[in-house]
This record gives sequence, C-alpha cells and structure tokens, in this order.
Amino acid sequence: MLSRARILGLIAILLLLAWWRLPSTQDELRRSRLVMGTVVEIVASGDATQGLDVAVSAAFDEMERVERLLSRYIADSELSRLSQQAGPFTLSDEAAAVIALGLDVAKRSDGAFDLTLGRLNDLWAIDSASPKLPTPAQLAEAMRGIGPEALLLNGQTLKKRSAALELDLGGIAKGYAVDRAIAVLKQHGVASAAVNAGGDMYLLGELHGRSWRIGIQHPRQTNASLETVQVSNRAVVTSGDYERFFEQEGQRYHHLFDPKSGLPARGCRSVTVIADSVALADALATAVFVLGPRAGAELLHNYPDAEGLIVAADGTLSSSAGWVNYQAAP
Amino acid sequence: MKKLWRDMSRGDCSVILVLFLIALIGLFWQANAPTGARLIVGDGDQVSFTAELHQEQTVDLEGPLGVTRLNISDGAARILASPCPRKICISMGSVQRSGELLACVPNRILVRIEGVAEEGVDYDLLSR
Amino acid sequence: MTCSAAKEQQLEQARRHVFLALLIAVAISIHTVESLLPTPLPWLRLGLANSVAVVALYLYGPRAAWSVNLARVGLGALLLGRLFSPGFWLALAGCLVATSLMVGLHRRFPDWLTPIGVSVAGAAGHAFGQLLAARLLLVSHDAIWQVLPALLMFSLGAGIVTGWVALRVLREIRRHPLFRQLSKAEADDQTGEQALQ
Repeated sequence: MLSRARILGLIAILLLLAWWRLPSTQDELRRSRLVMGTVVEIVASGDATQGLDVAVSAAFDEMERVERLLSRYIADSELSRLSQQAGPFTLSDEAAAVIALGLDVAKRSDGAFDLTLGRLNDLWAIDSASPKLPTPAQLAEAMRGIGPEALLLNGQTLKKRSAALELDLGGIAKGYAVDRAIAVLKQHGVASAAVNAGGDMYLLGELHGRSWRIGIQHPRQTNASLETVQVSNRAVVTSGDYERFFEQEGQRYHHLFDPKSGLPARGCRSVTVIADSVALADALATAVFVLGPRAGAELLHNYPDAEGLIVAADGTLSSSAGWVNYQAAP
Repeated sequence: MKKLWRDMSRGDCSVILVLFLIALIGLFWQANAPTGARLIVGDGDQVSFTAELHQEQTVDLEGPLGVTRLNISDGAARILASPCPRKICISMGSVQRSGELLACVPNRILVRIEGVAEEGVDYDLLSR
Repeated sequence: MTCSAAKEQQLEQARRHVFLALLIAVAISIHTVESLLPTPLPWLRLGLANSVAVVALYLYGPRAAWSVNLARVGLGALLLGRLFSPGFWLALAGCLVATSLMVGLHRRFPDWLTPIGVSVAGAAGHAFGQLLAARLLLVSHDAIWQVLPALLMFSLGAGIVTGWVALRVLREIRRHPLFRQLSKAEADDQTGEQALQ
C-alpha cells in the first residue's frame, strides 16, 4: 500500500515534470501595446524572468518616446516642428541619424524612397473613412519640391529646399522605434526576443535554441504564407499592396506611392527585406517596391548585408543572391 | 511544516493526489490545445460577433457598462480597454488556443476561441 | 441513575445548541472579514469559515456542519447586502457541493481521513460548485471550465491550510472538560436523543 511519503513523493515528481514540461507558459513573456497606431507585440524569453516584465515595459516606453519625437501626427514632435519651420533646423542626434539613413536610401534609390511625401500622404488620406482619387492638379501641387534633393543635411542642420515641404518619415520612424526597443531589451540583459510592430519586426537571439521562423504573408491569399525564413538578430520588413488601400471603379489604390507620379507604384505586389535594422529594412522595402523587380534587385545589390524577396505585379517571385541562406527547410 | 506532515493521514494524501492529478491533466490539456482559428463573442447562445483570428482588426464590443475594445493581431486576441472597475479582462492577456477565453463579467462580454487554425503553425511570427 | 443520565442528556443538548450558535457566529464573522479583504480575483478566498464547519462536523456531526455552512452563506450574504445576488448563488452552490462532499467522506472514511483531507475535499467541492453555478447563471458556455484546473490547484492549497486550522482547533477543544463527554454523546448524531435503555 502506498505510504504517505510515497504519495507525496509522487506529487513532488509530478510537480517537477510540470515545471519541465510547461516552459513556454513560464519563461516566455508576451505583451502588446498600441504604439504609433499599430498593435506592437513584444515576446521576450530568457532567464531574467522577473526582469523580463521590467525590460519589456521599458522597451514599450522607449517606443513611445520615439513616437513623441518622430511622429508627424503629434503637434509638437520634433518632426512636426521641422515640417512647419521654413528655415534651417537643428536636429537632435537621433532625428539626424534617422533622416540621414532615409536620405541615403533616397539618393541611392534615385528618389524611389522619399522622406518628403507628407502632403502627398495627406492628400490621398488612405486611412481615412472616405479616400478619393486626387486630381492631377492636386497631385502636382502635393508633389511640388519633393525628391531626394529637397532636403539638405549638414551634420545636424537640415534645410528644406521648399518651405512648404512636409516630412513624413513613415515606416522608418516605426522601424527606428523597433530598433530602439531591441536596444533597450538588450540593455536589460534580454537575449531572446521579438518586437513585432504590425508585421515589421526584429528578431533578437534565438527562440528555444533555434532561429526564429518568420512566415511571409502571401500578397493575395489571406490565410496563406509565401514561404518561411529562419532568422536570428535580423530585421524583417514586408511592404505590400494589400495592407492599406481603397478601391475605386475596380482599381486598387494602395499606400506605397511612386514619388515620380504621385500614384501607387504598380511594379510589385509585395517586397520583403531582411536587414540589420528595421529602419533600413523598411526604407529598402519601400524603395524596392516602388522601383519594381528589376531596378529593385539592383538596389538591393548595393546593400550587401540586406536580402530581399520580391513578388512582381504578375505574381512571379525573385530574390536577392543571399536570400536562399535565410530560407527555411520545409 | 513538520507538524503538518505528521498530522496528515494517508487518506489525506490520497485525496490531495487525486485532485492534484485532475488539475494537472487539465492544465496539460489546455497548454496543448491546438491554435484556434476564430473567435466568437457572445453571451450564452447569442453570438454578437465573430472574427477570424488571422485577420488583424480592432473592434468595439458593446455591453451594459460601456465599450470593451477587443484587438486581434498575429493570430491572437486581447482586450485593450474596458469600462469594468477591476480590469481583470485586460490582465487576462492574449489568447489564441482553441478553448481559451477572455471575459469581462461586469460588462457581460465573453470571447472564446474555437476551431483549429488551418496552417501557419509552421512559423513563429508573420511578416506582412 | 436514569434521572441523572436524562439530565446529562438535556445538559448536553443545551450545550450543543449554545456552542453551535457560537460556531455559526464565528463562521459568519470570519466569512465577513474575509470578504472585505482585497483579492486578486473576486470570490477567490481562503475559505477559512469552512474550517468552522469542519470543526462542527467532527464535534457534532453532519447536521451541525450543514447548519454552520448554510447559515454562513445565507446570513453572511444578508449581512453584506448580497442576498440573492449572483455572488450569493455561486457561494450557495459551492457550499452545497462542498458540505455534501465533506459529510459524505467523513461518514465513509471516519478514520482514514483527518480534518485536513475533509477540508481539501470541501475546498475542491466549493470550487467545482461555484463554477457550475457560474456556468448555469453567468456565463452560458462551457468555456468557463477553462479556469477549473487553476482554481482547483488553488483550492488544494487553501483546503490544506483551513484543514490544518480545523485540526488544531479540534485538538485544543477536545482537551476541554466540557467536550470530553463527546465520545458518548457522538452517538446522538441523527436523532439527538439517546434512547433510554
């Protein structure tokens, strides 16, 4: 017959089993917060179980701080003040770094990526309740003075060629926020985490001893993925024509505009870029999308540390040379 | 603690063991439930809202106390805001497995996850 | 001889009434104080008042245990202004299941279980009963059973604690001369009147 000791011994063994068998519910922390108009989810795991909560909160706070700095929808953010100011503007270190990155991609992509599309975005108002197709005259007005030459950055001083220019850092501000969140997590000693801002993400370290597996949304089938990549310590950003759009008279108008025409770029359905920072990945993904498959591939070639997957307008896939290194075994 | 040990009988330990096993099995079962495919919001048999978990959206659910804001993204659902006094529903975090639920009892909102996700368990996160 | 025996019986009866009333009062007080304490989740409590029922069960038998627990739920709710509120029905359901379990187990296994085991069963029964009532009244869907495993784990701990309290109280009480009669009077369980034979 089972003695008391044996029975309690059994309970102890079961407790141990439970502790071993339920690791995912114990040492992994998932938190979400609404930042920059997107639900940002941070998944962090590791030994610092008590510290994880603190680290993740700090990461979110940092993202909110970046939002207050770079969002054009916050009246007194540095970016808004910059847009309103006519003359030269002295930027903070961070804003200067982000703008420098954006301008670099803008120049190398021959203007496909553009930081000065503020008025154009306002005109289209894709996210509003009733967006409408702008007239050619409206488009011309909104595009006056834009382009990579429109901004002159000298150290930390920024000059706008035209006073009416409005900056919109768009995705690279969000990307920078994610990069900063990761930096904060690292400062807190977190070794494995994912910061996902609505599909633009950075994967830190490994997940349970293996690389993070990231699926890439199929641009035309909601429930399907194109393929899966395995990454560690990389940013993954996808720009697609299915994310934000409206339809009028059977035509779809999405949010990735070609700065040369002011109309949505038609060369691709989606572009995914893997790079070392989310800010860069986002800028490249947007630029490649606008450039189209061939010119986009050339641009990627100039960034040896970045790899990309392009889904052309007709659905054909093409990828950069090193992309295959990220592809997951099926 | 030693006193407690001496006072417990074999029978006590058996009862405790049985109940413990039941609870443990229940916990395992929940942890291993498949990832759900959709969520259903309803009060009893009355379904007021359903959504597929893979479609990102934020929706406001009406209840007697006011509006409970529900968010779906990355295949999981979570409550962002609710008019209840103790915000227990928000602290329930995110749910995604079949059978899991979120509830704001004061505002009479019950969200449950059903079905089995067709695929997508192949990756950890989705880049869109 | 019979005279004094009969008087003993009457005295014992009177004593039981008085102590039962005291026990009920103690149970209600504990219940009230407990419900005023802050808890992470509503209606998640230690259930210390159940120890009083366990004590009553071992001292005076099933009917006493029922009296204590039913009074605790009913009068407790009355005092706190929660009579017939949803919380009341949950507590009542939990109490019914818990007390039935405790009484049943004590009758079947009087020696195999100590008050601790009985208390644990009571706590588990309470949890189950409350969930059942919640399922029927508040949340008309089986999804509510999701919380059972976690709640059950919690009840195990709570039951051990309250059971141990009951055990120690019983030990102390039984030392008192007033309660030494009990081994003979325990046969009075159901009828309360020893046949004068």
